[in-house]
Amino acid sequence: MDWESIKKVTGILFEYLPNTLKLFAVTLTFAIPVGMLVTMLKKCRFKPVSWLTNLYILIMRGTPLMLQIIAIYYAIPMLKANFSKQGTSGWFASFINGIDTRSESYMFTALCVAFVLNYAAYFAEIFRGGVDSIPKGQYEAASMLGMTKTQTFVRIILPQVTKRVIPATSNEVITLVKDTSLANIIAYAEITMKAKQQMNTYSSILPLFIAGLFYFVLNAVVTVVFALIEKKFNYYK
Amino acid sequence: MAILQVRNIAKNFGELKVLKDISFDVEQGQVVAIIGPSGSGKSTLLRCINQLEKADSGEITVDGTKMMYKGENGKTVYAPKKDLRDIRLKIGLVFQNFNLFPHFNVLHNITEAPVHVLKMSKAQAELQATALLDKMGLSGKEKAYPCELSGGQQQRVSIARALALKPKILFFDEPTSALDPELTGEILKVIKELAKEKMTMVIVTHEMAFARDVANHVIFMDEGVIVEEGAPEELFGNTRNERTKQFLSRFNQ
Ligand SMILES: Nc1ncnc2c1ncn2[C@@H]1O[C@H](COP(=O)(O)OP(=O)(O)OP(=O)(O)O)[C@@H](O)[C@H]1O
Ligand SMILES: [Mg+2]
Repeated sequence: MDWESIKKVTGILFEYLPNTLKLFAVTLTFAIPVGMLVTMLKKCRFKPVSWLTNLYILIMRGTPLMLQIIAIYYAIPMLKANFSKQGTSGWFASFINGIDTRSESYMFTALCVAFVLNYAAYFAEIFRGGVDSIPKGQYEAASMLGMTKTQTFVRIILPQVTKRVIPATSNEVITLVKDTSLANIIAYAEITMKAKQQMNTYSSILPLFIAGLFYFVLNAVVTVVFALIEKKFNYYK
Repeated sequence: MAILQVRNIAKNFGELKVLKDISFDVEQGQVVAIIGPSGSGKSTLLRCINQLEKADSGEITVDGTKMMYKGENGKTVYAPKKDLRDIRLKIGLVFQNFNLFPHFNVLHNITEAPVHVLKMSKAQAELQATALLDKMGLSGKEKAYPCELSGGQQQRVSIARALALKPKILFFDEPTSALDPELTGEILKVIKELAKEKMTMVIVTHEMAFARDVANHVIFMDEGVIVEEGAPEELFGNTRNERTKQFLSRFNQ
């Protein structure tokens, strides 16, 4: 490949970078709060809820994200086909039938659902580890000072958990940057998918190398951002 | 009436009977030392009174409010939530390992509860905290974080934190045993100061000399019962009780 083609390929990848970033940003924005919710469900004293949550975490972490993406993406068209074959009606059927699986947004939504469900399970385990690592004495001290359960959690526990989960969260975010490439399996137009196309066009693996550089630079940024966040929390041990 | 009344407290951990029929009174302004061998139930007793643990049966009355008592059907009843909370705010507990909030600086550790629990203004809480720090000999440490302080300093901050809620009774669970011997002196000095101001205190301690020096009432516990209690001169000076003698002999060598 000559310089001109390299520039051209890089330009194309730049054009599709926003699609990668969109998936990354939406996953991160939702997976963290959902992960917190999952942590709480897992800690629920009503055992069936805790068991179901464990099962969810087990499945999400125990099976490939790629399979989950495919399953979620094709589940709805297949359900629709089944419903029309069997003439099923009811609110669920009409809800499913109402989803336009050919629309532009359907693919992105399905991807986000798969990524958020998967990443929330990982974040939940990170948060649980963080919450469990806070010594019992912190709860006892807060309770001796008359603080309510909510005050104790929000003002005493959560800030300390945040500090403790930063390194593990950083790892997860770095993985997420790279995992967005899995979206190419359902032909979502992100940079890996485009790099593959260019590879075929030019019969060269150089486009893949350029795509690799994109991820590398993104993760360099993620690493720096997390180092700064870690530093911000360094004022206490 | 005694400011703290404990009657027939019993507490089991599974099969283990940790507290068996414990009764005692603490009068306003009294300094009570609780001594006894490891595992005798001293911490558990403090924790039951401070609602960190639930006693199985018995009665506890703090400053005239019943915290737990025997109901009409003979079952142990706990006071309604509101009373429990009121009682909790009347008593403070100083922990062996301080349990300061590491993410707050010294001043914030002390103002947190006055501001967020008592709804005191921040300015007033800080004024009070500064005065307390001064009293603890920690002026100038307001902005320091707990991890930047020595154990003795951390323990003094935790005493200031407890005092900021103006408790009627202050409990200490071995306040010096996580500290190097050189540092215990500074804590004992602070407790002596408080005793002079007639602060009511109940102190679990292994420092016999200190118990003898500062307490006006000593309780000796062993295997979940109070073996003997009385004035320090009596208990340390001429106890007739064999078990007490045996325990104290270890400290008098
Ligand atoms: N949460 C718990 N679960 C089970 N057993 C417990 C629990 N807390 C304390 N114990 C047991 O109860 C007994 C009394 O413990 P406690 O801590 O009250 O003794 P202590 O007099 O404070 O001893 P020390 O001087 O070592 O602090 C011990 O045998 C201890 O193992
Ligand atoms: Mg103890």
